[in-house]
Amino acid sequence: MIKTTELSKKYGEATVLNIASLEIPKGQAFGLVGNNGAGKTTYFNLLLDLIKPTTGYVINNEIQVNTSEDWKPFTSAFIDESFLIGYLTAEEYFYFIGELRGMKKADIDTFLAQFDEIFNDEILGKKKYLRDLSKGNQKKAGIIAALIGNPEVIILDEPFANLDPTTQILLKKLLKNLTTNSNATVLVSSHDLGHVTEVCERIVVLEKGEIVKDLNTSKETLKELELHFSV
Amino acid sequence: MIKNFLNFEWKQFSRSSYFQKGIGIKILLALGVLYFGGIALLLGIGMFFILKKTIPEVDPIVTVNNFLIYWFIFDLVIRFFMQQLPVMNVKPLMIIPVKRNTVINYLLGKTAISFFNFIPIIIFLPFSIVLLVQGYPVLNVVCWFLAILCLVFSNNFINFLINKSNVVFYVLLSVLVVLIGLEFFEVFKISQPIGVAFNALYNNPILALIPLGLLIGMYFTNFNYIRKGFYLDDAVSKKIKEVNATDLSWMNRFGSVATFLKNDVKLIWRNARPKQVMMMSFLFLFYGLIFFTQESYSNSPAWIAFASVFVTGGFLLTFGQLVPSWDSEYYKMLMSQNIPYRKYLESKWYLMVFGVSLSFILATPYLYFGWKIYGMIAAATLFNIGLNSFITLFGGALNRVPIELNVKAKAFSNTNGFNPTQLLISLPKMVLPMLLFYIPYYFINYESGLLALGLSGLLGIVFKNFFLTKIEGVYQTGKYKTIAAFGEKIN
Repeated sequence: MIKTTELSKKYGEATVLNIASLEIPKGQAFGLVGNNGAGKTTYFNLLLDLIKPTTGYVINNEIQVNTSEDWKPFTSAFIDESFLIGYLTAEEYFYFIGELRGMKKADIDTFLAQFDEIFNDEILGKKKYLRDLSKGNQKKAGIIAALIGNPEVIILDEPFANLDPTTQILLKKLLKNLTTNSNATVLVSSHDLGHVTEVCERIVVLEKGEIVKDLNTSKETLKELELHFSV
Repeated sequence: MIKNFLNFEWKQFSRSSYFQKGIGIKILLALGVLYFGGIALLLGIGMFFILKKTIPEVDPIVTVNNFLIYWFIFDLVIRFFMQQLPVMNVKPLMIIPVKRNTVINYLLGKTAISFFNFIPIIIFLPFSIVLLVQGYPVLNVVCWFLAILCLVFSNNFINFLINKSNVVFYVLLSVLVVLIGLEFFEVFKISQPIGVAFNALYNNPILALIPLGLLIGMYFTNFNYIRKGFYLDDAVSKKIKEVNATDLSWMNRFGSVATFLKNDVKLIWRNARPKQVMMMSFLFLFYGLIFFTQESYSNSPAWIAFASVFVTGGFLLTFGQLVPSWDSEYYKMLMSQNIPYRKYLESKWYLMVFGVSLSFILATPYLYFGWKIYGMIAAATLFNIGLNSFITLFGGALNRVPIELNVKAKAFSNTNGFNPTQLLISLPKMVLPMLLFYIPYYFINYESGLLALGLSGLLGIVFKNFFLTKIEGVYQTGKYKTIAAFGEKIN
C-alpha cells in the first residue's frame, strides 16, 4: 500500500530522516517507535506531503504523494491539535470533515453513535468550542475525525498520549478492529512500547532518522524493545 | 524581583515576532513609528497656533477643554478594541515565591507602558510647553497637564474593568455617535458643560486632585479585582464562551463551496481577530465621505475612483489580503484532507464577492452625492468583484504570516501586510482602478471612464477560471513554505 524509496529529509547539514526502503502492505497495523527526534513525525509529515522530501519519494496506493493530490480521498490523519479547527464545536467539525469526504449529516450521526463510549458525554452536545476542550478530549475528537469516511490509510501520531486509561483501552480495541474488519492500513507512532506491541503486527524502530529494527510482533517483541531502549 | 520582571519585559519586547523580521521591514516599521510620532508631535506643537488662528475669539486652552470629552470617549472605544489586560502572562508567576501584590502591581504597572498612553503624552506635553512659552501661568498649566495624564491613565484602567462585556462597548459607541450628532446639529452641546468643568480645572489647579483621585480609585479597583480573582479558574482563566450555534444549512445552496463558506462565516463570527477586521472594513464604507465632501477631491474624478474602490472594497482588502493566514491554525489539516485547492480558493472568492455586494448595498446613501459619484461606486464595485478580488487572493498567496484567531491584534503589531511584496501588490489595487477610469475619461468623457472601469470587472468575472487556475498554481508552489511558516509559534 505504502512504498517508501530512498526517502530522506535534511535541514541544512542535519539529516533527520533517511529511509532507503520501506514497504507497508495493505491492511497492516504498522507501528513506529523511537525516542524524541528519531524522525517519526517527520516521516508522517512526508507521507502526507506536508514537508518536501530532500531525496526520494513515497508512493501511496500507486500515487506518488508529492506529485499528485489523488491520495487525499482515501488517506486520513491526525498528527496534532493543529488538525482541529478551534472555533468549531466537535459536531460541526465532524460534519465538516464528513462533508469533505462526501458524507451526509445523517451518515455522520450514525457513524458517531458507535463511539459513545469513547466520547463519554464530554464531547458531543457540550456547546463548547474545540479550542476550549481539554487536551485529552481534543485528541479523542481528532482521532475519531480521522476515521470518518472509511479511509484506507489512517495515520495517527502518538494517539495514546494524553488519553485517559479507559480510552486507551478502547482505542486499542478500535485500532485492532480497523485492520481486521475493514482492511484499512493503520500507521501509528508511540512512545509507549506496551501499546504499540499490543496494537501493531509490525514494529519499526527509528533512531536518528534511520531504521534500526523491523520486527513482526510476537510474544518476545516487547521484551526485545525494552532491552533495545534501556540505556 | 522587579529587576527580573523588567528584564522579562525587555526580552518579550526585543524577541517578539516583529523584531525577527528583515532589516528592510524594521526600517519601514521604524519610519512608520517616527511618522506617526512626528505627526502627533507636530499636532501637539501646532495645536495652539491652529486653534488660535481658526477660532481667534476663544482662548485655545478653552477650545481644547471643550473637546476633551470626545477625546476621552473615543480613546476608550479604541482601547476597548485594541487593548487587553495581559492576565494570562501571570500564570507562570503564580507559584513562584513572590508576593501576590508585587505581581499584581507589576502587571498593572506594565499596562502603563502602552502605545495608547504614549500618544496623549506626545500630543499634550508639547501643547503644554507651548502654553508655558506663550506665558500662561506655570502652576495652572502643569496641574492641567498632570490632570489630563491622570485621566488618560484612568481610561487605561477603566478599559480593563469594562473590557469584559461587549454591551458596554456598544453603549459607549452609541453614546459617542449620539453626542457627536447632537453637537453637530446643535441640539445639545455636551462639550459645553464638560468644557466648563475642564476650564474650572484649569483655573483652579487644586482641582487636579480629582482626576488624581479617580486614577488612584481605578487602580485599586483593578488591583482588588485581580487580587480577588488570583486563581486559575477566576480572573486569570481564559474566558470560555458558550457556543452560539446558528443553523447555516441554508448556505448549502451554494453547492460544493458551501462547506467552506459555512466555515468562514463561523470563523468571522466566533473569533476576536476577524471581528476586529470586520469592524475595520465597516469603517471603510465612510471613506468616501472624506473625498466626496471636499472640493479639491470631488473635482478630480481620479480621486473619486480611488475612494470608490475603498467604499465597497473594505472587507475585500482587509480580510482578503490575509486569506490563507486565517486558516493558519489548522492549515496542515486542510492540506492533508480531501480538499481540492480550487474549491478552497473559490469559496474565499465567493466570500469576498458577498462582502463587496453587501458593502454596495450599504453604500446606497451615497446616492445623495448624485449619480456621478454613485455610478463610480457601482463601477468600482464591479472592479472589486472582478479584478480586485483576484489581485487580493494572489497577494495573499505570497503572505505567509500566521494569525492567532482569537487574540485581538495589538496596535502596531499588525505587520502582516508589511513586507515589500505586499506593498507591491497593494499598488495595482489602488492605481489600476484610477488608470482604468482616467485614461478613457481623459480622452473621451466621464461616462466612458465608468464604463471601462465596470467592464474591466465584468471581464475579470468572465475569466474567473483562468485567474483561479493561475492563483492555484502560486499556492501549490508555495505549499511547503506556507505550511512551515504557519507551523511556527506566533508571539
